[in-house]
Amino acid sequence: MATTATVNLTSDISPGFGGISKTMTLTKAGTNNDITETTGFSRRKLAATTAVDLITMANELVEPSDNTAAKVYVKNIGNNGVIDKSRYVTISVGNTGGTTQEIGRLYGGDWLFMPVTVVDDMDIVATPETDDVVVLEYTMFFEEA
Amino acid sequence: MATTTAAVTLTSDLLSDNISVTTDTTCMKGGTTADGLDQMDMGYIEIATGTNFDLLDSNNSGLNNNKANKVYISNESTDETYYAEITIDATVIGRLYAGDWMFIPWGAEDATADIEIRAYGGTNKITYAYFHEGRTLVSA
Repeated sequence: MATTATVNLTSDISPGFGGISKTMTLTKAGTNNDITETTGFSRRKLAATTAVDLITMANELVEPSDNTAAKVYVKNIGNNGVIDKSRYVTISVGNTGGTTQEIGRLYGGDWLFMPVTVVDDMDIVATPETDDVVVLEYTMFFEEA
Repeated sequence: MATTTAAVTLTSDLLSDNISVTTDTTCMKGGTTADGLDQMDMGYIEIATGTNFDLLDSNNSGLNNNKANKVYISNESTDETYYAEITIDATVIGRLYAGDWMFIPWGAEDATADIEIRAYGGTNKITYAYFHEGRTLVSA
């Protein structure tokens, strides 16, 4: 039961940059055993500048194991096939009712893939720049507590 | 226009209907639709345990603040028990175990929003690439 993620980066910024290509198999923390849990693939439509939880760690039906090897994927797919690369959704981690820490701005078409702690109140938070409709796709892989 | 593309392929058979996602994006400057990121830094470093280091500094006179910066970090270590803890502005984001990589937009929203890294298990070998639209050089 394997989960893999491959990244390919190309750029002509620097003539000496030959690109980056790397594949990883998602494993449980500190082992070579495959990661076993996922939230499944989801999408959420946002139409306000209010911060919302994409993933609420405390609400997962399978309790995630804190501070292990969990990973999150999020992509800004725009709306109805229209992707505005000048508009963004800020992705943060934290509690919408408390403190959040910004990761960065996910512009139209952009994606991220990053490790997460899955600690309660370290939720994945999305805050659109405008109230124009924007859709995010996302999934999380983790191990059970 | 400089062109930087980032593609990802994600596959998983954890569900009965397998997940298979392939996508790519062209990395533009913040708020633009026709002007690509045009500067980059890249490095390979060995990080000893015991200290939280600044990998990327947000405090550079605002040139990279609240932009569309992109950051790639990969843990090239081979011992599966080794990991690098990634922190932004004192908030732990997560752990990159040996062989793991991450790719994020980096808001660098203020002077303290540095990307920090700390090694556990042993000396971790890290590759990183930072695509941006400017940073302040340090005077000699």
